[in-house]
Amino acid sequence: MSDLPALLVVFPIFASIVVLLAGLARSRTGWPIAALASVVQVGMALVLGSRGFGDEPVRYVVGGFTAPYGIELVVDGLSATMVVLVAVVSLGVLGYARTAGPRSNPFYATYLLLVAGLTGMSVTGDVFNMYVFLEITGLAAYALVASGKGGRSALAALKYLLVGTFGASLFLLGIGYAYVATGTLNMNDLSAQLAAVGYTSPLVRVAFGLLVVGLFVKIAVFPLHTWQPAAYAGAPDTVSGLISALVSTVSAYALIRIVFSVFTVDFLAANPFARNVLMAGAAVSIVVGSLLAVSQSEIKRLLAYSSVSQFGLIIGAVAVANGTALTGAAIHLVGHAIMKGGLFLTAGLVASTTGARTVDEFEGLGEYLPVGAGSFCVLALAMVGVPPTIGFVGKWYIALGAVEAQAWPLAVVILSSTLLTLAYFARLIERMYFREPVATSSSVETAESKVAIDVATDGTGTPPSMGMWATVVAAAVLAVVLGAAAFEYGQLLEPTIEHLLT
Amino acid sequence: MTDVTSLRPIAAVLVSAIAVILILASHRRPNLRESWTILAAVTKLGLVGSMVPGVLAGRVYVTDFGAFVPGVRFALRADALGVLFALLASLLWLVTSFYSIGYMRGLDEHAQTRYFAAFAASLSSTIGIAFASNLIVLYVFYELLTVATYPLVAHDGTDEARAAGRKYLAYTFGGGVAVLAGTVLVFWLTGTTAFTPGGIAALATTDPVFGRAAFALLAAGFGVKAALMPLHSWLPDAMVAPTPVSGLLHAVAVVKSGVFGVARVVLDVYGPGLVGDLGVGLPLAAVAAFTLVAASIIALRQDNLKRRLAFSTVSQLSYIVLGLAVLTPVSLVGGLLHIPAHAFMKLTLFFCAGAIHVETHTDDISNMAGIGRRMPLTMSAFGVASLGMAGIPLVAGFVSKYFLLIGTVSAGHVVFTGALLVSGILNIAYFWPVVYTAFFESPENGDPKPLVENALGGRYAVDAVTDGGHGAENDDHGYAPDHEGQGPQDRHEAQAHIRHEHGPDDSLAWEHRGWGGGESTWFMLGPILFAAAGSVVLGIVPDSAVFLRIVRLIVSSVTGVSV
Repeated sequence: MSDLPALLVVFPIFASIVVLLAGLARSRTGWPIAALASVVQVGMALVLGSRGFGDEPVRYVVGGFTAPYGIELVVDGLSATMVVLVAVVSLGVLGYARTAGPRSNPFYATYLLLVAGLTGMSVTGDVFNMYVFLEITGLAAYALVASGKGGRSALAALKYLLVGTFGASLFLLGIGYAYVATGTLNMNDLSAQLAAVGYTSPLVRVAFGLLVVGLFVKIAVFPLHTWQPAAYAGAPDTVSGLISALVSTVSAYALIRIVFSVFTVDFLAANPFARNVLMAGAAVSIVVGSLLAVSQSEIKRLLAYSSVSQFGLIIGAVAVANGTALTGAAIHLVGHAIMKGGLFLTAGLVASTTGARTVDEFEGLGEYLPVGAGSFCVLALAMVGVPPTIGFVGKWYIALGAVEAQAWPLAVVILSSTLLTLAYFARLIERMYFREPVATSSSVETAESKVAIDVATDGTGTPPSMGMWATVVAAAVLAVVLGAAAFEYGQLLEPTIEHLLT
Repeated sequence: MTDVTSLRPIAAVLVSAIAVILILASHRRPNLRESWTILAAVTKLGLVGSMVPGVLAGRVYVTDFGAFVPGVRFALRADALGVLFALLASLLWLVTSFYSIGYMRGLDEHAQTRYFAAFAASLSSTIGIAFASNLIVLYVFYELLTVATYPLVAHDGTDEARAAGRKYLAYTFGGGVAVLAGTVLVFWLTGTTAFTPGGIAALATTDPVFGRAAFALLAAGFGVKAALMPLHSWLPDAMVAPTPVSGLLHAVAVVKSGVFGVARVVLDVYGPGLVGDLGVGLPLAAVAAFTLVAASIIALRQDNLKRRLAFSTVSQLSYIVLGLAVLTPVSLVGGLLHIPAHAFMKLTLFFCAGAIHVETHTDDISNMAGIGRRMPLTMSAFGVASLGMAGIPLVAGFVSKYFLLIGTVSAGHVVFTGALLVSGILNIAYFWPVVYTAFFESPENGDPKPLVENALGGRYAVDAVTDGGHGAENDDHGYAPDHEGQGPQDRHEAQAHIRHEHGPDDSLAWEHRGWGGGESTWFMLGPILFAAAGSVVLGIVPDSAVFLRIVRLIVSSVTGVSV
């Protein structure tokens, strides 16, 4: 049996060490090595991913200790999706990072560490192992957020660290309760043992509650989202693009894994309260996230709150818990990663070209940055769910799933989320195209506004490179093109979803 | 009906989508840019036209791209109803393209590239709506149409235009959500959304509560673009757009896509039989009847010509919806035939309003006294089209309205017949003053207009900014409902106000232009005369004009009754 699943996790860690060591010899060697490693990672992820879409998941036992005692890696369609998504997005963001920075070797070492953590979370079949990768991901993400210059990044990272660690601790506590109840940590084994203990046992219920709330923090579901806007807005543009696309996404994947692979739908059926809490969390997150987004004046904060709202859709799909909705969740996870990552990078591109970081500064952008404004516009409309983009397809599946489950209130919220999303993006689109450009501000004013917002980017002042343009345009094109491919993907995912729901 | 696999439906959609790229690429060369528009319009008309004989012979052209989401194919089907709408839209796009060139250049507008590109994109979406084979595909293009027309509504970039744009997006995307919700329900109930003449069979056996809910959602969603009251208020505001947009999109393509959606739902999703059984036709007809009377009354009081036309559109669209909702074969024919009939007539009227605006910068009817001397051809065309609107024989409006009247009477709904007749009279009441003032009054010698001038009449006319503050580039496209500095009446009033002793001055009268076309450019006169001629042809020989034949085919395939 091939060692590919393990290699996929180990390789980025190895590359990360290489980057760090190379930095000792020569500075600024981080990017080429990281790029090479990412290309290899994409290749491996594609090979493994293609195997994951079989009828049975790929299982790999680490170090020859058989499950349930050893650590097992499991790759099914969903984890394969995540692995490929992580590899592709991190490669794409690297294309952007080359000019946009940060450029230090430690940054790229951390970058690859984050990739390793995310990949590990995606392939692991063991809850404690998942916690370990969750922490690796978290620590790498804190460090990346802090890699910006200036106090704002540091403060954002500190806040992220405190709240994130709180979430991870809850997750660990939940694992503890589950272990006390069953004496096992392997997901497959856990699901059988938990059923034997009984789904209404207080231990099991508490374990579920802690695990879910812990992940809610990591996903940034309202009201546990407080770290997220600060972190996304305070991080360098490259990092905002990367973590907004991947970190919450993989955490949401972990939630699906925990709810369906470990606790199973029968648990949800036995505990309607748990399901209701999920639904309420979803609905509140969608509505309040959008309302908060509308009230933002800074682009990156607006996009961050938009994520709070969009992940509400995913939680909603989990709460609905049928095949259609889960397919929708998988599609929307991928779609959101592309769209939101693309939006952050576009915002970064706009900021580094024109210095525009607030909603008002976007006025007249369509005139002097047509490609940037166009990409932003396409991505925003995709996020709204204008067909035939990927944003529409995900929403269609989730809404249909909610209707099939006859969860009417949730279905109403999901459908009206289109209008809520429109509310904050229409403001931007209108400003970009139908207002006169703001009077050309003198350099003094620009400097002032930069100080006022105090965002640190290594690359500000450098003109955008081909890599930056290419990444941004590619994201916009993918957001549209993937909409056409979503159906085939849904077909491929069918065995996996069936597996999850039984 | 036999299905024929063909690339023509998708080609008809794509031709103007490709034109968008070419238009954007040649933004530095206006003549080349406009030739792309014309070329695309001619090609599109040719493609759609080439399918008409086949469709009349019972063939359906299908382009199928496979599954989009489970159970739903992304396919385009050019059936009779689709071809009716597509033929109308593509024919009038060609006409409007010429007019657009004259209009936009006449006013020396900004952002013309964006304008022409968005126009082409709108037409792509419109043809997509026409040829959509199921509700999902229809929804896809319905939303794209909203996106594509938004830049046209907000074209001016003034506060007013942006506000209209916001309102437009909010209303139409809100309608889109309702359509999506209804579509999801239909899909959940039946496992399909494909259009089937006479209705989806499985829908008849499902829970009527859900069936009614889905119908209500779909009708309300499409009703937004069809400007059914109380969802109509985006339409008068959207008149801030350039007049060709008001003409083609807000009297033909966009609003008719809403009506078309209602037609698909009634004819091909539910089927007239099921709509009757569920008891949802009557409420829809009642809403339509209310709308067509109320909008006519509101139109009476509009002094701004484009606003008056907008409320006339609101009213006329409800004729179509009423015809569809009454469900008898004759009323269906009337409703569907009113789609092309109204399109030709209303396009004429808007073109005239636009030509007046470009040539004389006159927007208010009170300023148009004697304008028939200045623009004889334009105002004659206006007169012909307004006669048609009122349902006078020999013009298009009469034929469709005749079918509608017969249909409502034969269905036993005399109330609706009454509403139609009242609205017809109101039509005369709000169009005749325009013709009268143009030809039989002069600036210094006009009759009082109590309906427009009295205190309540100002209700819709005072809430907008005045024209005075705008520069030349912020043209209001004949929309701004102010009453200053627009025409001889205002100048006359101002002068009389300042120097009472001078009294009326002959120099205020419109200069006389002949009937030979000296009043404007042929880029605008040509389209005006074509559209006016079209409405007369539809009125005199409806059977030779292809539209009535298509309509008969649609109704007989749905109801099995040939009318």
